[in-house]
Amino acid sequence: MMTLTSRLFGVVLLSALVAGCSSSTGADANKSLPSELFSSAKKVIAARGVGPVAAVTPSREVIQGLTEPVLQIDPELAGGSDFLRRVESRTDSSGRTNEVWRSSLKANVFLRNGVLVGTRGVGSDIISADAKYTTRALAARSNGSGTRSYTISDGDLTTTKYEFNCRYENLGAKNIVVAYQSFKTTHMRETCVQTSPESNTIANDYWVESGTKIVRQSRQWVSPKVGYFQFKLLRK
Amino acid sequence: MRKKAALCREQSMIRTFGKIALGSMLFGTVALAPLQVSAQEVDGVFEAPDRPSLNFYGTTGLIDMPSGEALPDGTVAVGISSFGGTTRTTLTFQATPRIQASFRYSGIKDAGIGRFDTYRDRSFDVRFLLNRESRYLPALTIGLQDFAGTGIYAGEFVAATKKFSGGAIPGTVKATVGLGWGRLGSSGAIGSPFGSDRPSFTGGDTGGELSADQWFRGEAAPFAGLEWQINDKWGVKAEYSSDAYVTETGNGVFDRKSRFNFGAEYQVSERIRVGGYYLYGSEVGVNVQVQLDPNRPVSPLRLPAPLPYATRPPLKAGQQGYDTNWAASSAEVSQELRDVIVPLLKAEGMTLVAVKTTARTAEVRFTNDRYASTSIAVGRVARILARVLPPSVGTFRIVPVKNNLAQSTVVFRRSDLETLEFAPNASEALLAATQFESADPVLAGAALNEALFPSFNWSIGPYMKRRLFDPDEPVRVDLGIEASAQYQPAPGWKIAGTIQHRLTGDISDDTIRTPSALPRVRTNSLLYAQGSDTSIPNLYVSRQWKAAPDVYTRVTAGYLEQMYGGLSAEVLWKPVASRLAFGVEANYVKQRDFEDILGFRDYSIATGHASAYYEMRNGFTGQLDVGRYLAGDVGATVTLEREFANGWKVGGFFTLTDVSSEDFGEGSFDKGIKVTVPVNWLLGNPTSQTRSTTIRPLQRDGGARLNVPGRLYDQVRSGHRAGLVGNWSGVWE
Repeated sequence: MMTLTSRLFGVVLLSALVAGCSSSTGADANKSLPSELFSSAKKVIAARGVGPVAAVTPSREVIQGLTEPVLQIDPELAGGSDFLRRVESRTDSSGRTNEVWRSSLKANVFLRNGVLVGTRGVGSDIISADAKYTTRALAARSNGSGTRSYTISDGDLTTTKYEFNCRYENLGAKNIVVAYQSFKTTHMRETCVQTSPESNTIANDYWVESGTKIVRQSRQWVSPKVGYFQFKLLRK
Repeated sequence: MRKKAALCREQSMIRTFGKIALGSMLFGTVALAPLQVSAQEVDGVFEAPDRPSLNFYGTTGLIDMPSGEALPDGTVAVGISSFGGTTRTTLTFQATPRIQASFRYSGIKDAGIGRFDTYRDRSFDVRFLLNRESRYLPALTIGLQDFAGTGIYAGEFVAATKKFSGGAIPGTVKATVGLGWGRLGSSGAIGSPFGSDRPSFTGGDTGGELSADQWFRGEAAPFAGLEWQINDKWGVKAEYSSDAYVTETGNGVFDRKSRFNFGAEYQVSERIRVGGYYLYGSEVGVNVQVQLDPNRPVSPLRLPAPLPYATRPPLKAGQQGYDTNWAASSAEVSQELRDVIVPLLKAEGMTLVAVKTTARTAEVRFTNDRYASTSIAVGRVARILARVLPPSVGTFRIVPVKNNLAQSTVVFRRSDLETLEFAPNASEALLAATQFESADPVLAGAALNEALFPSFNWSIGPYMKRRLFDPDEPVRVDLGIEASAQYQPAPGWKIAGTIQHRLTGDISDDTIRTPSALPRVRTNSLLYAQGSDTSIPNLYVSRQWKAAPDVYTRVTAGYLEQMYGGLSAEVLWKPVASRLAFGVEANYVKQRDFEDILGFRDYSIATGHASAYYEMRNGFTGQLDVGRYLAGDVGATVTLEREFANGWKVGGFFTLTDVSSEDFGEGSFDKGIKVTVPVNWLLGNPTSQTRSTTIRPLQRDGGARLNVPGRLYDQVRSGHRAGLVGNWSGVWE
């Protein structure tokens, strides 16, 4: 609702600026400003009908039929679910694996040993992030502390750096069920407090498999405008 | 087989689910969440910090009185207020964290001043935040109101504001105290600390001059107020006003029965706030405020994500380097590469101009048609090259080109792009490893994109023209249809024109014709509007090219703007990494006829300027133009503009020439404000279009500069180092 109002506001404000004593620059010679306005207004009106969507639970047959790695993402604020394929996996010399997961609608998610370090195409994306202490704490599954930083897009081709002081806690063993399979995991929590200027707090949860140390399920913060995503590794 | 069919069907079902889900996510629909007490921690969305509200003068303040706070840096705000026959429309800009400037247009009904039923006035304000609020000290501001106008609102003040929150009372309480001079010191004065020499307001003055010898002179009176922001939506205000409204009460505009004002305000949305008030014991007033923070876009930009960087296979042990035999003939492989990447660039919204590759280095020249920031285009080109080129090519030279002007060369090492993609500080690390060089005018030995020329574009659409600040009718609007076309026969050549036909409007209904001591170079706009319903705003031939790696040149001939046609030539020197640039422009023009849309009048003039441009820190750009203006007067224009990395620009300019204030007429000298908004900030689609508007309080004939299409400085800047670095994260997006 807020975004609908915002976008309508943007369209109205832009119409006010279409007035003369004005010049337009931009090599988009083929797309005139009125047509941009109309296509934007159409999108806004179409979006009105779409209500909040519930998260999807794929059926057992679907899960058993999967032949490639699939990651399920449930955005908490926006609702619904998305399913991503792994398009890249690179392990560097120190054993950290960077993975790129891609959705059918061209949004990317970067995971380093299961920790979210980047997104693309989500809007208010994480351009880059540091997760040194997080990956270390998850590998050791022990309590500890460290720092984290995120470089996050402001939505207008500029970025803001968010820096946090973090505390890691091992909340004990927990059996979880993901994709109809049961996993023995350790529940790790990362609680971070922003250093300056505000002191916002975020809390990320990770369920790390006991044997393989893979993050089977997690709830991770993305950005101040998007909120949290829930991740489920359906097939690794 | 059956299982496979089921699998395919199920997988496509997942994709459909994904489409619906991600589709709704992309349009940002917010799931209905149950009411939560501590929303911040649970949903991870950070709230915007508290913002001060505006007063009836459109500056930060209470109701009629100013306060000691400043707006967030870079905020552009519009306030429209009305009470007791007085309507004020104000545009306010927080130019720096401490300096706030405002331009106001007000109207007082039945004021009995001059010959007008409604007395209309333009005024400028400026204020400076002396002290930021801290734990024990208040925010302190010193300000000048209407410091260079006819002076009906002239006043100065010092104000202090302190915030209190927590404790038994919910929300935030702000307490303000201050001392005002001039209009703000007219009621309840306590003395004249700096001397009592202050003339009172006389209507009908030409105004426009800074009356510095009057500032803080005369009687001073205290004012105070309280503002209580109860929750996110509601706030109430109460104040003790020191403005006696001498002129208005004297002429019977309204009755001032009390010194106290009260009001309630409602925050309609993040940007809009409205309020209702009871003022001076006799009047009801309303106030609408809109605050735009350029750093919080109305619609965040969302780009489809690119595929990850294609990395090269690792060098086998014992191998010296990757095989280079494939590039035996540079000309041949350049042509093959060109054929491969033309469609790939097109899919990304870019057009290939030229490409050349050797075994070790590839250079691509391209035009960016889609992205507002050149850095995104540069990043996408690098990804395409990494996917397509054999491993031996280790250096990418990427050259953005705009209308045949190669702007700069961005040099990447391919290994940096591969290793830094997931680095924690990917943007800064890549910037440190990137080189910016100047681009040669032409790339020798390159394979050219033959399909580029000739090219023809056209468009038809509605247009709207406005004319502001006529005393009888402040806003006049014309509506009509406009058709424009552009033909580019060869690189650098352009033949373009626009034709407009007015369907309806009231711009030509104006009858006022103010006297002018100078040749009427700009004050004939009414005759152009009345002369013909169809007009040709421009129709010209232009050629632009690079004379040297750092020198850009342009020649334009034809009907250059609504009032003039002729010849214009410009040379600009701007190195890629330099803050400083110099340019020279020379024009010879004749004034166009009012009724004959292709004819000319007798008046002709040679004008020209030498310009210096300087890019300062924090996005400020200064420009100094010295030369001869359309009326034959000689002088200089100073422009100061603040440009935000997202494309927003707000700036002001003034011109001083050898024309005296009396000869210039009302306003004394030419001045104005310019605002540019990038369209993608409002709509969220990737587009490079911007909308600019220039507001002049008065259009007179002194200090008038020719409007020429395609001036070089803005064409060149977007691809230079400063233009790329501000949005450098776009390279990774």
